[in-house]
Amino acid sequence: MHQNLVFRLAARRLFILFIISIAIVWGVSEVAFLLQKEAYDRPPKVIELVIPGGTADRIAAGQPVPAIPEEMVFVVGDTLVIHNADRIDHELGPLWVPTGTSASLNLDQASKMAYSCTFQTSRYLDLDVRQPTTWQTRVTAIALAAPATTMFIFVYSLVIRPIQPKNKPAGESVSLAK
Amino acid sequence: MNLRRYLLVGLSSLIGLSVVFTMLVSSRPHEFQGSVIDPPVPARDFTLIDQTGKPFTLSQAHGTLVLLFFGYTHCPDVCPITLADFGRIKEQIGATADKVRFVFITTDPDRDTPERIAAYLANFDPAIIGLTGDSATLEMVWRDYGVYRVKVDNHDLSDYTVDHSSRLYAVGPDGKLHLTFSFGTEAEAMAADVQALLREN
Repeated sequence: MHQNLVFRLAARRLFILFIISIAIVWGVSEVAFLLQKEAYDRPPKVIELVIPGGTADRIAAGQPVPAIPEEMVFVVGDTLVIHNADRIDHELGPLWVPTGTSASLNLDQASKMAYSCTFQTSRYLDLDVRQPTTWQTRVTAIALAAPATTMFIFVYSLVIRPIQPKNKPAGESVSLAK
Repeated sequence: MNLRRYLLVGLSSLIGLSVVFTMLVSSRPHEFQGSVIDPPVPARDFTLIDQTGKPFTLSQAHGTLVLLFFGYTHCPDVCPITLADFGRIKEQIGATADKVRFVFITTDPDRDTPERIAAYLANFDPAIIGLTGDSATLEMVWRDYGVYRVKVDNHDLSDYTVDHSSRLYAVGPDGKLHLTFSFGTEAEAMAADVQALLREN
């Protein structure tokens, strides 16, 4: 009887803490989402990059090419289109861009790659392809974090306030309903 | 009577809608999975020696679609996979395969003799055209197609390997370079692109 009561009290505390955990996790997740939203929470799009004329000459002279960033961030589903306005053919990893043409690269997998690149002084261009934050991502984050947070708070609560059922006079039933 | 008329009208509408939907879907332009070279540029011509010892000139293949791949017969990974992909592409495109030439150009002329290439390609498909040549000519071809290749000595083994570019080039029947495919592109996707390219040309 006593054991059953302790179990019921623990279950009730666990349930309340689960609700509180969802609220906490949801709050933290939303704050993180709002802070990172600008960076890569957007639908996929076409991103164009122009290799300006004179790039090969600048690279040969060891000078940087200001028009081209050293790292580019994308979301899954983006398409990178490279226009080659230089006098020679250029390459970016699997892409080959003959002079006067454009070539495209579909970025359909989240990954961080350092591609060999003929239009960068460093000879490398970092492409960071990230998974966009959708509502599914946010729900998944809450679903993963809430149970762990609940258990953490529950264990902590046992230390702070152990479960101790109040002693009732014999014959009187213990009512948990409030 | 009324019910029959309603059924007829409903069925006709359904058929009509299906026809319109099919037309809309089939009239949609093909979305290429490979990297589209826009505008297509004339593929730089070359003449090399095939596995039978005969010369092969790219411009003589005009009218057919040419899939070009640069590799070497001692390659442990990328080349066998790509040559197997050639087979899958051929299978996928079926009857139109006779309008496509599959070409393998060596990045290791020191070891890849015509005989060696012939024996190697026989493991995949003897119809694949395997090309080699003298170093000077090959250097020019590699440069024209932006092919990176470098010998790597294996200290543990007597042999060496060759690091090389792994992209595939699609030269259309018009002799222009239309597409490149990065290593790892699904054979089915490449086959669909090849068929679309043949339709467009």
